[in-house]
Amino acid sequence: MLGAMNRNLTRRAWLGLAAIAVAAWRPRPARAQGYLANLAPEEPIGETMKRLFGGRPIKDGASVITIDMPLIAEDGGSVPIAVDVKSPMTAENHVKAIYILAEKNPRPLNVKIGLTPAAGQAYVVTNLRLADSGPIRVVAETGDGSLWIATRDVRVTVAGCAA
Amino acid sequence: MADIGRVKLAVPGSVRRGSVARVRALVIHPQERVERQGGRSVDRNYRFVNRVVVTYLGREIALIEPSTAVSENPTFTIPFRATEAGPLKVTFFDSHGVKFEGTAEVKVT
Repeated sequence: MLGAMNRNLTRRAWLGLAAIAVAAWRPRPARAQGYLANLAPEEPIGETMKRLFGGRPIKDGASVITIDMPLIAEDGGSVPIAVDVKSPMTAENHVKAIYILAEKNPRPLNVKIGLTPAAGQAYVVTNLRLADSGPIRVVAETGDGSLWIATRDVRVTVAGCAA
Repeated sequence: MADIGRVKLAVPGSVRRGSVARVRALVIHPQERVERQGGRSVDRNYRFVNRVVVTYLGREIALIEPSTAVSENPTFTIPFRATEAGPLKVTFFDSHGVKFEGTAEVKVT
């Protein structure tokens, strides 16, 4: 009798513990993605490059990547950038991702743009927040996994307190 | 900020079949930036657009993953090859799990 109760309690306790464990291990719901743990870590650009591209070689893409940005940005909170990567955008040979990184931002990756051949061009325009004057790096990743990089210096008059 | 979530899309009035056109998409959104206190980031659930999906004729054209370092009212211009008339849809998802979408009809001549 006592033994059975003990076993019961034990089983109940075990189930309780299991339930707590499951609750604790459940990933954060979609509505809570804004916490720091879900953001890229604050780190120097070198760490970000390592995290994103590992030790893969990155070729000089100055001849294939065109970055159109103002030389002097008056408002770091909104700096327009246009990136154009020369690519035939066929299934065999296309740009599958464009990464825009600001060296002086605490979290250097501004945005990653994934593209498919249906885009027809490897092109994107957006507005960035820049924390300080410094180089902007644009990395293009092609379908076969090779990486190309181009950089552009931008002077920021009023910092964008960026991210 | 009453307009949060309003999506505006701009596509050319008509596009020659097979040519590449561009869509400009914008969402009214605060795109909150990380606050700092005493040099350290404050941990809270920041609200910013962290995923943008662009589809044309139901096929994915682009998947964009913005960070908090994209300006308020995020805007993106993305190309697409206009093969036939049909809907071009842009969906913005934010870190609070809310989604905002806009559709434009592409006319092909």
